[in-house]
Amino acid sequence: MKRNLVVFGFIVVILGLGLILTVGCAKKVVKETAEEKTATVQKEAAATPAQPAETEEQRLARENAMKEAALREEQERERALAAQKEKEAAAAAMAEAFADLRFDFDKFDLKPEARETLKKAAAYMTANKDVTVVIEGNCDERGTVEYNLALGEKRALGAMKFLVDLGVDKGRIKTISYGKERPLDPGHTEDAWAKNRRDHFVVTEK
Amino acid sequence: MTKKIVFVIAFFLVFGVTAPSHGRVYIDIDSPTIQKFPLAIADFKNLGKNPDKDKLGTWFPDALGKALQVTGFFTIIQRNAFLEDPNQAGITTDSIRFSDWTGIGAESLIKGGFQVNGKELVAEFRLFDVIQGKLISGKKYTGKVSDRKDMVLKFASEVLLQLTGEKGVFDTRIAFAGKKGQISEIYAINFDGSELTRITNFRSLTLLPRWSPDSREITFTSYRDGNPDLFIMDMSSGRARKISGFSGLNLAAPWSPDGTKILMTLSKDGHQEIYVMDFREGKARRLTHNYSINISPTWSPDGKRIAFVSDRAGSPQIYVMDADGDNQRRLTYQGNYNTSPSWSPKGKRIAFEGMVNGSFQILSIDEDGGNLAQLTTEGGRNESPSWSPDGRYIAFASIKNGRNRLCVMNANGSNVRILHEGMGGYANTSWSSRSNLY
Repeated sequence: MKRNLVVFGFIVVILGLGLILTVGCAKKVVKETAEEKTATVQKEAAATPAQPAETEEQRLARENAMKEAALREEQERERALAAQKEKEAAAAAMAEAFADLRFDFDKFDLKPEARETLKKAAAYMTANKDVTVVIEGNCDERGTVEYNLALGEKRALGAMKFLVDLGVDKGRIKTISYGKERPLDPGHTEDAWAKNRRDHFVVTEK
Repeated sequence: MTKKIVFVIAFFLVFGVTAPSHGRVYIDIDSPTIQKFPLAIADFKNLGKNPDKDKLGTWFPDALGKALQVTGFFTIIQRNAFLEDPNQAGITTDSIRFSDWTGIGAESLIKGGFQVNGKELVAEFRLFDVIQGKLISGKKYTGKVSDRKDMVLKFASEVLLQLTGEKGVFDTRIAFAGKKGQISEIYAINFDGSELTRITNFRSLTLLPRWSPDSREITFTSYRDGNPDLFIMDMSSGRARKISGFSGLNLAAPWSPDGTKILMTLSKDGHQEIYVMDFREGKARRLTHNYSINISPTWSPDGKRIAFVSDRAGSPQIYVMDADGDNQRRLTYQGNYNTSPSWSPKGKRIAFEGMVNGSFQILSIDEDGGNLAQLTTEGGRNESPSWSPDGRYIAFASIKNGRNRLCVMNANGSNVRILHEGMGGYANTSWSSRSNLY
């Protein structure tokens, strides 16, 4: 019975492959035909005679219009650039406020740099009331899965407590521990481990 | 395990002397320094009229040798060393020249024969003590030709019972979490490394498989719904349901030996604490009351005590407490990172993972804190030990030179064997009980 099923499965797969191949070929043929057509149309366009020459008045009007259009474009570019800069500054401020917090091996206490980052995060969250965060606690690959899940949770909960102590509503913060299961850097070096011992913030703006 | 054994033991062969079961232990495998036991396996004889088109004459000794080699207790003597003339010798005590076998250093000998009739197979196996020149055990199995591996494992188990006093663990499975990129699923594999099967298909981070004592159910933790929740799965139907979904960690931990309770770690109150849940009451009772990490509980075989991990003294160490949470005391003092305890089903010893000179190794210690021994010495990391039901082997996860492996070793650290390799990572080994197939 099992073997029959396997055989049937094979047949289905082979039929399926056949179908894909057929469809693939058909598409290719259609495309080639279309390209040929476009080429023909272009040839015809090149063959039509040039327009008669414009008057002086027409030329000035055209040049003026072009200048105005260029000016408008310039202004729009500047405006977009300013908006882009503003956006980048906001993103930079947010990135700074929610930068990864680093930890020492088998430790979950917040280092001075982590506290500075968290102060910025608290300020950001106080200024932007519709922002919520998930703090993801992570560890390096050394040690047990379970112990690292606990350690990652301690790291995330510690950061949450710090934010709450600074006046951020607890309802706006969630924590989750991934232990050593989701390393930022898959390497096995001291450098990679240092990057992987982190609290990571996932920020959502409603 | 869905495998069905369709053959039966037709009869117990009695030729001359029948050794009483476990009458004499030939190999004391529980001694810390065991010598491998030299064993010869002769080619099997075709006892029927039909030709041996499946080459069973050499298949049987090869398969038997492989199965017994896996146990780590035997040296299988190479065929080309044999002195016996196979055309002259038979498979019964009176037709064997035992000096042919003692002469090549064998202490035991396995001989056998078979008859094939269409798809039907009858196979006889005999185990001899060549020094005393006598039959230790003989078995005859009937079944299909396609069931021949089951016959081999059944007799291999019989050989172990006769020579070591306890049958083998060929019918056990080892469950583990196998990683693929950012996710992991629960898998199980046979003791000999065959039949890898995926148990879950949650497509998320799924960890910590723990067999029920009858191997019919399995508990595990999965991030499927965004939080590490605790699930239970019925192995025959493959259906899983959530049994603990508190905010924070809901970590699966071993079942009680009688199967009525499970241990688990919950962090719903903001710190990781060990709980016990009785299936009949459906309620979780807290066993630890401590703001530090309390995690990775494991029962003693009598269910009266629990070993676990706590960092209450500043670094993760193994602790032991009574089943009701009383009398918590520290067990490990050497090193500053000891986790993942697993209590031997035969009592007395607890295996765990500890940091030795900066690398992680498997160690074991007496339940009273004595006789600390380092079992793995290889470079790389060795993690999450789990005992076989006979207390003779330890499964563990290993990573060396960036290569991940699932391994098994003898309880004294010898005979390390790779069960599987090539996944993105292996973790949380859990050894099933015997399913009494062999």
